[in-house]
Amino acid sequence: MTSREKVWRALRHEAGPVPVDFGSTGVTGLHISCVAALREHYGLDRHPVRVCEPFQMLGEIEDDLADALGSDCTGVNGRTTMFGFANEGWREWRTPWGQEVMVPDGFRVRVDAGGEHYLFPQGDTTVPPSGHMPASGYFFDAIVRQEPIDEDRLDPADNCVEFQRLAPEDIAHWQREFARVKGSTRSVTGGIGGTGLGDIALVPGPFLKHPKGIRDVNEWYISLVERRDYVHRIFAHQCEIALENLAEYARIAGDAMDILFVCGTDFGTQHSQFCSVATFDELYAPYYRRINDWVHRHTGWKTFKHSCGAVRPLMERFIDCGFDILNPVQCSATGMEAAGLKTDFGDRIVYWGGGVDTQHVLPFGTPAEVTAQVTERLAAFSPSGGYIFNTIHNIQARTPTENIVAMVDAVHAFNRRGG
Amino acid sequence: MPQLSELTAALAAGKRAETVRLTQELLAAGVRPQTIIEEGLVPGMAVIGEQFKRNEIFVPEMLVAARAMKEALKLLEPLLAQAGIKPKYTAIIGTVRGDLHDIGKNLVSTMWRGANFAVIDLGTNVAPERYVQAAREHGAQIVGLSALLTTTMPAMKETVALLKEANLPGVKVLVGGAPITQLFADEIGADGYAADAGTAVDLAKRLVGDAA
Repeated sequence: MTSREKVWRALRHEAGPVPVDFGSTGVTGLHISCVAALREHYGLDRHPVRVCEPFQMLGEIEDDLADALGSDCTGVNGRTTMFGFANEGWREWRTPWGQEVMVPDGFRVRVDAGGEHYLFPQGDTTVPPSGHMPASGYFFDAIVRQEPIDEDRLDPADNCVEFQRLAPEDIAHWQREFARVKGSTRSVTGGIGGTGLGDIALVPGPFLKHPKGIRDVNEWYISLVERRDYVHRIFAHQCEIALENLAEYARIAGDAMDILFVCGTDFGTQHSQFCSVATFDELYAPYYRRINDWVHRHTGWKTFKHSCGAVRPLMERFIDCGFDILNPVQCSATGMEAAGLKTDFGDRIVYWGGGVDTQHVLPFGTPAEVTAQVTERLAAFSPSGGYIFNTIHNIQARTPTENIVAMVDAVHAFNRRGG
Repeated sequence: MPQLSELTAALAAGKRAETVRLTQELLAAGVRPQTIIEEGLVPGMAVIGEQFKRNEIFVPEMLVAARAMKEALKLLEPLLAQAGIKPKYTAIIGTVRGDLHDIGKNLVSTMWRGANFAVIDLGTNVAPERYVQAAREHGAQIVGLSALLTTTMPAMKETVALLKEANLPGVKVLVGGAPITQLFADEIGADGYAADAGTAVDLAKRLVGDAA
């Protein structure tokens, strides 16, 4: 059975070996420092790792490492990064923590006297920076560049500049990417951007030189209460564009893709939600339903929803508006215990994640504690399929390599035992 | 003259313009600023805190109410300062070194300001020694540390250790943020952990011995 077949069995809720994902998306990957450490651990070729996602400083999982980890999934990458520069023209760069890595040519950083790092949108150092990595940090955060808000002049079009039809260079890029993965024995996850509704990492527009509209994170959340019509108009616009782009994307991808990453908007906090069920129904569900329905009518893809946090009260809604997969399944959040999630929703949605807690056990526990939690989660989630193993969100910097290896070993030992 | 209860209701509903208007009208009618805060605004924020704890409202509604509160305080705080009236307690707050996230920290800051605390907000990415320095300089009773990231939890531990080592008399250290738990707070020797902004108010008041 190929990795891709393994994944499809799980997606169809059929029993079998648990597939594993390390790095197929920007929310199921590893910090670049961990990637380098794992390459060293597995005795793979030593070279500076590529930063495949500069916002979170994720490292590229090359085929040799994917093989060593036993990963069953891979992804196609966008033409440009979260900071708007192209993923091309690789050169070496030394991180604040002293690691030699490869970055795209457009990765332009200014370092101040205190060691704070500032990254520029589209590599343009003549405009204000849009990313900030503290001297002691491990990844970037978006810098909020909010122009003064004049309520009478707010125009949703200002928040829609990033939602455009695919450009010829995008189409050429996707053609190359899908040619690269065609015939892959791993399952392939892709995405076009623009299908995520109000993803708070994207709202500040770190890829734009001069963002306009609502770009401050607090103001965005306030807009969900006070400027709901404005938000509706953004979502409606991006949905229209996304459906047109998806048709083009599907034509290019053909049968080379399995899973569509739809949206990374977090609806959960550690103990609660970011909105009520009623707000979800009114503001988000209609657009999600349109996108998911289109995908299911026109392609064989499964749709992937990422949302951190305590989202149990929204689970029925996620299912009802057509999502096939939930990630990262934050079991440490209130109401998100593995057994209960599996019992109540596990036959109707695929869990992709939940394998180990990246806030506590994986970074701070012992290898034995990691093994115990991974084994317990596999036992809870894997019966009758419907489960792809992944950590709860990306593996963070400073996570001990022995803990990551313990996790990998525990999954494969579980599969060897036959679950 | 409007009733203080109207102000409470406006704030609890997050109505910014109405909160500001009622505050102005109450001031114009001769109501003392501290009465407006204690009997109008504080009960409003208490309602918000409770509703949040009960999952009846969510972060966006909290932010809307906090913004209304801040605008009302903008009118009232200069008047209190002119009259030489200071908040009863002082708190230092900041997001720990290496961490740039501030939504939770800002909410707690606003809630504390509405609960008779002068709040010195050090911002984000705050070095451990700056908390110690600020606590000493301002004679604080409370120091609040926030962290959103797993990778900055060690900075929180380091900061708490430095604050304890500084042995500042009467200073209590509160921690919070997404990856923080009571267990972690206990491990690093913090005096309290708050899971949300409403709890942070209750906890700070309890730790300074304010039972009200």
